[in-house]
Amino acid sequence: MGSVSIQSLDKIYPAAGKNPAFHAVKGIDLEIQDGEFMVLVGPSGCGKSTTLRMIAGLEDISGGTISIDRSTVNDLLPKDRGIAMVFQNYALYPHMNLFENMAFGLKLARTPKEEVMRRVTDAARILGLEQILDRKPAALSGGQRQRVAVGRAIVRDPKVFLFDEPLSNLDAKMRVSMRSEISKLHSRLKTTMIYVTHDQVEAMTMGDRICVMKDGRIMQVADPLTLYHQPENLFVASFIGSPPMNLLRGRVERREGRLVFVEAAESDAVFVPLAGALAQRAEKNLGHEVVLGLRPEAIYDEARGADTTPLRARVELSELMGSETNVYLKTGAGTVIARLHTERRFAVGEELVVYLALAKAHLFDAKTERVIR
Amino acid sequence: MKASTIRRLKLTLAHVFLVGFLVLTLTPFLMIIAISFRRGDLAIGALVPVGDNFSLEHWKYVLGIPYEAPGADGQPRIIRATTPVLLWFWNSLKVATVASACIILLSGTAAYAFARMRFALRGLLLKSLLVLQVFPMVLALVALYALLQLIGDFLPPFGLNTHPGLILTYLGGIAIYIWMIKGYFDTIPVSIEESAKIDGATHFQAFVRILLPMSAPIFAVVFILSFISHISEYPIASVVLQTERQWTLAVGAQSFLYEQNYLWGKFAATAVLSGLPITALFLACQRFLISGLTSGGVKE
Amino acid sequence: MPPAAVRILYHTIVAGLVVAALFLSARLYLGGEPLVGAGVLLVAGLAAVTYLRAKAYTWRYLFPGLLGFAVFVLFPLGYTVYVSFTNYSSANLLRFPQVVRYFETETYLAGDTRYSFALHRVGGEPATYVIALSPPGDESIRYATTPVALDPPPAEPVPVAADNPVPDSPPLALREVIPLRGLLQALSLELPDETLLTNTGLREFGPRLPLWRHNPEDDSFTNVQNGARIVPDHSIGRFVHATDSEIAAAGTPYGPGFRTFIGISNYTRVFTDKGIQGPFIRIFIWTIVFALGSVALSLAVGMTLAVLLEWKQLHGRKLYRTLLVLPYAVPAFISILIFKGLFNQNFGEINLLLNALFGIRPEWFADPLLAKVMILIVNTWLGFPYMMIVCTGILQSVPDTIYEASAIDGSNALHDFFKLTLPLIWQPLFPLLVASFAFNFNNFLLIYLLTGGGPDMVGAATVAGQTDILVSYTFRIAFRDTAQNFGYASAIATIIFVIVALLAWWNLKHQKT
Repeated sequence: MGSVSIQSLDKIYPAAGKNPAFHAVKGIDLEIQDGEFMVLVGPSGCGKSTTLRMIAGLEDISGGTISIDRSTVNDLLPKDRGIAMVFQNYALYPHMNLFENMAFGLKLARTPKEEVMRRVTDAARILGLEQILDRKPAALSGGQRQRVAVGRAIVRDPKVFLFDEPLSNLDAKMRVSMRSEISKLHSRLKTTMIYVTHDQVEAMTMGDRICVMKDGRIMQVADPLTLYHQPENLFVASFIGSPPMNLLRGRVERREGRLVFVEAAESDAVFVPLAGALAQRAEKNLGHEVVLGLRPEAIYDEARGADTTPLRARVELSELMGSETNVYLKTGAGTVIARLHTERRFAVGEELVVYLALAKAHLFDAKTERVIR
Repeated sequence: MKASTIRRLKLTLAHVFLVGFLVLTLTPFLMIIAISFRRGDLAIGALVPVGDNFSLEHWKYVLGIPYEAPGADGQPRIIRATTPVLLWFWNSLKVATVASACIILLSGTAAYAFARMRFALRGLLLKSLLVLQVFPMVLALVALYALLQLIGDFLPPFGLNTHPGLILTYLGGIAIYIWMIKGYFDTIPVSIEESAKIDGATHFQAFVRILLPMSAPIFAVVFILSFISHISEYPIASVVLQTERQWTLAVGAQSFLYEQNYLWGKFAATAVLSGLPITALFLACQRFLISGLTSGGVKE
Repeated sequence: MPPAAVRILYHTIVAGLVVAALFLSARLYLGGEPLVGAGVLLVAGLAAVTYLRAKAYTWRYLFPGLLGFAVFVLFPLGYTVYVSFTNYSSANLLRFPQVVRYFETETYLAGDTRYSFALHRVGGEPATYVIALSPPGDESIRYATTPVALDPPPAEPVPVAADNPVPDSPPLALREVIPLRGLLQALSLELPDETLLTNTGLREFGPRLPLWRHNPEDDSFTNVQNGARIVPDHSIGRFVHATDSEIAAAGTPYGPGFRTFIGISNYTRVFTDKGIQGPFIRIFIWTIVFALGSVALSLAVGMTLAVLLEWKQLHGRKLYRTLLVLPYAVPAFISILIFKGLFNQNFGEINLLLNALFGIRPEWFADPLLAKVMILIVNTWLGFPYMMIVCTGILQSVPDTIYEASAIDGSNALHDFFKLTLPLIWQPLFPLLVASFAFNFNNFLLIYLLTGGGPDMVGAATVAGQTDILVSYTFRIAFRDTAQNFGYASAIATIIFVIVALLAWWNLKHQKT
């Protein structure tokens, strides 16, 4: 049905005027299962939108192939690919009312009138637009326009839905509710959806699987939990999660017979003894430059058995979030963020001992930036 | 066929169409340049001025340089131009420049009042200006003639057959420019002038020191549009300016093409000589102008 | 400069201008234009109030512009409407007092008293002469002029007096007088008793007396020679014979016409006079066809190019645009005249080419249909770059994603254009099209320079051409016809104004909604 297969996909924008040639997508491979909700996420310029637009047929493919439902679509026109797309700025036709907007594609395909009627009203019912079908887009709120754009996609009954940052023009509250609506829509239609966003929260909450991209390359493809707990590389580790993972640069050394992580710093370097699984991984990289990663929630304000390592720190800033507090701690060469579940307030400048759950720590090779396993 | 092949085919077709269209469009210009270098005033023989057909006689004529040409009896004689083409060009430049400068002054101040001040009749006045301005001045020539005659009786330098008189008649056509400048002023936030006033500027100082410098682009547009339209103005100039030495280029150029005295080659040289600088000016300011044009001005 | 000095300078300038205006106003009043003088006085007063009273601050910015507009747009407009209700024309050129003066100064050669004269050259450059007169039969009494130049002849009568010296040089011989005869005939002499004398032969001057006696109570004149009486008829602007006589039947016009109000007859002529109505309607229809056709053709070409040049994958778009805008960049009067020459029937390069290729020489200026086709070709050529520029500007305001959405919806280029582009750009485009229509409705320059309105219509009462549009027709009636008819031309001008003003007003309303 709606599986999408991308093989060694390349996109090169040729040099134009003063702009040099730009290699936007660098030979990516990606398999998307039928019915899957795949999120493409990454910072701006990472090639995620370009990839989506190549799937849609709005951009030429410079190299590689894209197949939808096991047939190559490289040379097909967008309308023949069995896709539908929801644009960031909705791209509604301003001079047509909602009904006409949604029916436009069907009319072009010479669909019988009753069929058009049925499909548009069905879509309108799903999205709660029945009462305002005769309005023009200018008379709608942002959320309603977004719904119409989704409706226009639904009536095409596509094999694959494509979403290009569809929620970025909405206010924060609307974004949350539309997010869940799109998720509900997915569980209802069970159609393949490819969703591009730069917001990692959207990615984590919506995607069956997430494809993290950077500089035209795929950094990791995995389900949200795997991505969070087993990042393949430094980029994924720092991109996913908020506040981001603490990353300490240093080297693995052997001191007094024990493996320790020593932060690279002029003075006050953090000095962490390594044990257990972490020590095994570190041993292979003895004397190498490494990065020690620790999520803010793996830092406690009290000792929890022998697995935690104490660390002396000074409070620089604290953000009270309600049930928890993000505390910015000055230690060694840099700042470490700890997410502490506590009712108490922290004063700036306060000295304090925190406990690191090193069992949950990650080690990365500083040169290759890949995780050490 | 592959989609990309079809597109390449379409692109090629588009280029063929555009190049063909350009050739058709630009041929008159190429022809007129060729004709200005071609011997004689009649299209006899080849179109292209090469070899024996090539001559600088028209250019010498237009630039007032004496040259030798066979007379009616076949004997060569020295011909010196009697038509002051360069003087016409100078007259045109003078009239168009002064008229445009005055128009900027009149329409700029009025536009400021319309954009920034609230007064009785403002809306009505603004609309009436635009509606009344559509009256073509060609049709008011009887009145303009009588008016200049009267002015000339009492202020001779501004009467008939004078350039100041002609410029005066051009000063009525300011409504479009008032609208254009007002439209630009409207896009500049009032708070900038208000802050100048808080800093101690008077109304007039805020206008001259703050708003005017910020509006330089629109004044450039208005100046060039007005310049181009007045350098091309024919009907009023042809009635007001009566003697050959007072003519502007638009009036003079036409005199080459009387059926009785058909000086096609001389006209060609005149056209190239005068057309080039104006065209160059237009192209140089094209980007400015296009923004002005799309905001509603129509070239006249 | 300190503020006080600025204030003094400002007041000095305003005062100076007001004094200058007062001076001009006085001169106008003394020069016989009291109304205009009063007008200048009024303007000066308004200016003084505007620039000296703090409350009139706003109007200081408006005053110069509005004054220019009033004098050079409103006044000509009002004057044109005024003239349209008069019979002002080359046949009725003078004002009534001027015609009265004309009759007052008309004289006739009275009686058979003849003064013999001798002409003495005094010399100088130009040469001056003394004319010496003797009464009939008495050679001893001599009147003489002071030295007077004969070329050009003096406009006022030259006084002769008994005590003016006569040069000693011998008078000119007859063969020397003959070449001067024409100049002598243009001259009149005035005797001390105010009798006017004019040259009646190679040797003689004779007395002239006023021909008409003015009857001020009804402005009528009686001919002192034959007793005929003429009275002014203000409905037609002529003096007419009051009664039947041997000379003329009652009601026969006599003398030059004068300007007078004739009501709406210039307007009714347009609809009733067969020699005018026919050409007028044909010209009106052609004006509409021409304006609509020009807009439609240049829009079609300009829009096609604009849409094509919006195609991002097309290389060299900038160069194409620059070259395509050239016809617009060259001043119109030059381009039009270039086409006039290129299309020339006998010498034109177009016919040269057509003749070489197909052996035809179309009569572009003599055949009405071909002339109209030529005009539309030239005007499309002149007008398409403007449309292209305008369309490009508007097209760029349509977001690209709409076309991406429609591509996914399965649209093609034609669908995109007619279902999406055109409906979207129509609203901003329409006012510009109306303005363009109004501009072409009055595109005098093109018609006048290209065809001059020709070829002429046969059987028209006034000059009228097959390619004339209303405005060029009007111009020719007023300025280029042998019988210039300002009144009738003004009536058509007024009609044209009403049409385009309505269009402009409608456009203005349309733009706001």
